[in-house]
Amino acid sequence: MQLKRDEGGVRRRLIAASCALLSASAGRAQEAPSTGMERALSDWSLDSALAYYHEDGRVQVIEPVVSVTKAYGDGASAGLNLTFDALSGASPNGASPSRMPQTFASPSGKSLTGGKHNYTTAPGDLPEDPHYSDLRAALGADWTLPLERLLTASFGAKLSYEDDFYSGSANASIARDFNQKNTTVSFGASYEADSLHPIGGTPVPLSNYALFEKTGNQNKDGAGLLLSLTQVMSRNWLSEVNFSLDRFTGYLNDPYKIISVIDASGDVRGYVYENRPDSRTRKSVYLDNRVAWERSSAGLSLRYMADDWGVHSETAQLHLQWWIGERDKYVRPTLRWYRQTAANFYTPWLLDFTAPGLSSASSDSRLAALQALTYGLKYGIKLRDKLGRESSEFNVRIEYYQQTQENGIPGPGALRGLDLYPDLKAILVQIGFSY
Amino acid sequence: MNRRALGLILIVGAAVVASGCASLGVKPWQRDLLSRQDMQLSGNAVDDAIDDHLYFSKEASSGGRSFAGGGCGCN
Repeated sequence: MQLKRDEGGVRRRLIAASCALLSASAGRAQEAPSTGMERALSDWSLDSALAYYHEDGRVQVIEPVVSVTKAYGDGASAGLNLTFDALSGASPNGASPSRMPQTFASPSGKSLTGGKHNYTTAPGDLPEDPHYSDLRAALGADWTLPLERLLTASFGAKLSYEDDFYSGSANASIARDFNQKNTTVSFGASYEADSLHPIGGTPVPLSNYALFEKTGNQNKDGAGLLLSLTQVMSRNWLSEVNFSLDRFTGYLNDPYKIISVIDASGDVRGYVYENRPDSRTRKSVYLDNRVAWERSSAGLSLRYMADDWGVHSETAQLHLQWWIGERDKYVRPTLRWYRQTAANFYTPWLLDFTAPGLSSASSDSRLAALQALTYGLKYGIKLRDKLGRESSEFNVRIEYYQQTQENGIPGPGALRGLDLYPDLKAILVQIGFSY
Repeated sequence: MNRRALGLILIVGAAVVASGCASLGVKPWQRDLLSRQDMQLSGNAVDDAIDDHLYFSKEASSGGRSFAGGGCGCN
């Protein structure tokens, strides 16, 4: 009896499902693109955003991004993306604060006296070049191509242009599905070639800043490998683990960064240009987990990275997403925590212009031991077309980023009591539209 | 550890992972939640690109989720 009742239930559910499928098919037939333009656009998708980034007292960036993708019937897709950055404001030059005013030249300057863009930093302030500006344009393309039912190849290329930096990169990956497409293993390789044309020439590494010793353009290049395993764990749980290895060689300095040379009493004696090793090998492990519920989802990603400069970092990022209303709106709070150790050649200052055996040194705060927190919130709303289908999305996102240096070496003599390692605080506001 | 032992560990490890993965997963008709936009690993590609550029220019680490790269003079 029990079996018979069950069979009846199954039959009713099958009939209901068939009716639902038929009505959905009929609906889709009625909703088919009606004009030539709609038909032409139905395989295209667009993702765009305009971001504004502002650091407290430092740089600001306006960054528009447009990405278009065309899907083909056989599962292939091709995409193009275009990014612009307009950056302006003040950027730390690497020197330490001092009890005395400090005067610096612009990167194109040839003298510390009377230069057009020379600037003076007030006592106690972090030295920053106030005339920093840059424009960047980047064009990327990607192509995904199914080779067989379970085998997919992907290719990507990117060109990036700034006044003082040109970059080209390419990558290729192959992915294989297993276990009814619940497991995907992919392997890829990338190559990048960069050319640096610093404004005013490339400074001679570790040379005295006041001597303006400059050389010509520089190059660097890098190659990377990425192995990825994606696994469907259950109906609502997806997991991914990536292993990556990359190595960059060539000119890896920041040509605009200098280091203060101070004496034992903390007084500034001058500055030298930084110098970093000419190769860097990085390894990382990245784990991403996504869990879905009926009206919400959560994602937790963890990354561990280590390089041969002595930098080890841990990153944890958590996001939640709640669908609200008729599941046509969502809110997405994000929290990111990051910590890194210092590069082994990081030093906030030097005690001598020509320290014996010194081959690499940088006071760039990005190579110091630091911790950062990001708080983010995104709100999105799905927009319907004239036939009532969800066809596009408008969203707005805001992020607050705070970076704090750790284990800063106390300043000797006159530097005591100065804020030698000020926090970095930044805000990002972004609006986005996708179709 | 010699090469042979390391090779054996890798083979056994790969077999354990492969057999573990084979018992996981769902049937094609159970992918309703997994197909949702918020469950796509690259579902916020533009946001991720903007964030990666920000972190690349302020921290010493990059990549992990995808290929690490430059494409920016900010070192």
